[in-house]
Amino acid sequence: MQQHDMALMAHLLRRAGFGATRDELEAAVAQGYEAVVEQLLYPGDAQSMPEDLIRRYHVDQSELRQLDAAGTNWLYRMITTTCPLEEKIALFWHSLFATGYAKLNQARALLNQIDMFRRFGLGRFDALLVELSQDPAMLLWLDNNNNHKGAINENYGRELLELFAMGIGNYTEQDIKECSRAFTGWTLANAEYMAVRASKDSIWPYGRIAWHFQYRDYDHDDGHKTFLGETGPFNGEDIIRIIVRQEATARFISTRLFQFFAADEIDAEGEEAIQAMMRTYFDADYEIRAVLRTLFHSPYFQSAHARYARVKCPAELLVGAIRLAGSYRMPTLGAHKLADQTFYMGQGLLQPPSVEGWHEGAEWIDSGSLVERINFMARELSNVQNPGVRAIITRLAATAGGPLTPTQLVDQCLDLLGPLDVDPPTRAALIDFAARDGDLHLATHQPGDTAEQRVGNMLRMIVSTREFQLA
Amino acid sequence: MSTQTATADLTLQYVKTIGIVNNGYNGRGFANPYDVAVSRDGRIFVLNRCDPARAAAIRVGICTLDEAYVGEFGKGFGTGDGQFAWPVAMAFDSQDRLYITDEYHHRISMFDTTGTFLGKWGVPGSNPGALNGPAGIAINAEDHVYVVDQHNHRIQKFTAAGEYLLHWGEAGTRDGQLMLPWGICVDTQGYVYVADWRNDRIQKFTPDGRFVARFGETGQGEGQFNRPSGVAVDPDGYIYVADWGNERVQVLGPDGSFQLLLRGQATLSKWAEEYFASNPEEWEMRLVANLTPDLPPHLHTPYHISSQTEPYFWGPVSVTLDHAQRLYVPETNRHRVQIYQKR
Repeated sequence: MQQHDMALMAHLLRRAGFGATRDELEAAVAQGYEAVVEQLLYPGDAQSMPEDLIRRYHVDQSELRQLDAAGTNWLYRMITTTCPLEEKIALFWHSLFATGYAKLNQARALLNQIDMFRRFGLGRFDALLVELSQDPAMLLWLDNNNNHKGAINENYGRELLELFAMGIGNYTEQDIKECSRAFTGWTLANAEYMAVRASKDSIWPYGRIAWHFQYRDYDHDDGHKTFLGETGPFNGEDIIRIIVRQEATARFISTRLFQFFAADEIDAEGEEAIQAMMRTYFDADYEIRAVLRTLFHSPYFQSAHARYARVKCPAELLVGAIRLAGSYRMPTLGAHKLADQTFYMGQGLLQPPSVEGWHEGAEWIDSGSLVERINFMARELSNVQNPGVRAIITRLAATAGGPLTPTQLVDQCLDLLGPLDVDPPTRAALIDFAARDGDLHLATHQPGDTAEQRVGNMLRMIVSTREFQLA
Repeated sequence: MSTQTATADLTLQYVKTIGIVNNGYNGRGFANPYDVAVSRDGRIFVLNRCDPARAAAIRVGICTLDEAYVGEFGKGFGTGDGQFAWPVAMAFDSQDRLYITDEYHHRISMFDTTGTFLGKWGVPGSNPGALNGPAGIAINAEDHVYVVDQHNHRIQKFTAAGEYLLHWGEAGTRDGQLMLPWGICVDTQGYVYVADWRNDRIQKFTPDGRFVARFGETGQGEGQFNRPSGVAVDPDGYIYVADWGNERVQVLGPDGSFQLLLRGQATLSKWAEEYFASNPEEWEMRLVANLTPDLPPHLHTPYHISSQTEPYFWGPVSVTLDHAQRLYVPETNRHRVQIYQKR
């Protein structure tokens, strides 16, 4: 098996998923790059942790009233899914169409939105935007329940154009008004009662009542509108059909996908990849799956240039560490704290700081969040009782054939955690650390013994490196 | 909605709903109720499993049929005497001692009706007498205690003091085998019924564990189950099943034939009425709301329907019958108990 193939596949699985264990990586390499891309793009049975088991043991995740319960419920899916791109694309849309708990007080509605991203997130962009415009959480989040015939509320119309689909500078203030008129009457059932409950954070008398979309024909402005140069008695679907035809939309969505899946920064070669994605966007009738296929097969994505060109967002980091460690495979007491962990790292799932989402890239890292990131990963990967860490120890023991020198220990651990390339001073520091205890003898290792702890300590050091923060 | 569900031989009359969500640490209302037990004097004991944010207040609430909240006891989350992590089920013995299982600590704790801790038993493991995730619990006329040992996929029988007597069952789908069983009950003749949760069926055994019959199969139709979690049998032999995954209660005849089903028809409890009396603006909006809406196709699962249809059962986790043939159905996700009267 070529090291190049392993490194490329590991790169793909970090970007289109949450990384891979060595067993998963070897299986993927055997399958081939193209086949793996197609498998990722067409999620089948995700075989995530079964909902009946989750509900039986976690009453909070059965009811989904609390934010941490909803966040952890989603993390359970990310941690155990066999279709990682389905969750990754949901995470992408959640970052772009950032909808938050603070105004809604309705965690279930947010999770239902995430589920909508799973169902529509790789399909046609126009279909996704229609679903988004009918999503109960979004309707209340951006006040479309207050967008009435003859008394428009521009909040949703404005953000649809500015933040969700086109980007500022590609439309006029009048377009925003006309867009908003087209979405009048798009609201949620029992809108008035639900709005009162949300505003008071009322859970009484019997907990939350989930929301669903309702179209009120009598409240819809069916007059003529002129939007982006076209005129007609447009409804919301018509507006979306016009939006997705725009060159600016193709650029906006291709750029955002590039930055989430390929690189935080865009250089000249990255721009070429974006151009190719834009062409696919139109050729494939706005299908996101096709645009991502173009990206994953682009020379840029497969080049060394794109490796470690993104800072892992907290959810990627946490889920990747847990999947490597093999923990939380079944309902676990205390799992609700997982959602808190991503919050401490700067990304509270289902609670973005604003409709603009999170400031991503290098801004994920500050002195506070870095400590949280490293502490969490170090705890997971240094615990030699975790099944994934045990698998790493078993591989080390099997391949050693004798004592491991400090250099061998470092290089093999770097390989099994990635393969991960670190810069020479970091590698030298890791070898110095390993050399304090000399060669490592794993031939007769026992669970939790000193030899195993040395491996755990090495893994702890590696996940604390700068390189491990990157995807 | 009719308050009565009936066949030629069996009628269940909806009586009332007791409860309101309690998101605090004590007092009136329930927090993810998991089981109900009724003492000889008719007081209703409700086991509050509690979500993690309120685990410090895991407790048993006590109320009356007239909705007087008369007390509570519990020492919350922990490993100490009287504390719990994941409490599941309760049962009274002939002396009105209350036994409560804890599927995380692998033990049974005993209390009197004032909440005084009387003792505990159970050790983790898979040997005879050891427990791995005790869930349902039932006590027969001789005060022998049957415990659903869920992760060992078996039933164990103990004395009231926790001395091991016998066990039966193993993982599997054949007659007499079990998959993550949950609820359990004993009928007036001493037969034992088990909610064989992941096999989507009820199994009936003799008092010493010989297989007698199985009822139901996987599905959403009449007589079919989706993860049944609780079972109770009345003196006439009717079998009441908390069909948890289908968000309903089904009643079978003594021979296992389907009789009727309840989808739930909760009304405002006294406590809920008092809440709205002091929150009139919310009440006003509620009056014009439709609480039994038609839902889009992607929400047509029992779980989603129940999450959006307030009167329906949502998380009907167990079924309990009292001496007056009243049926109590606690709903984990609605923090209330619906009560029906058999006629």
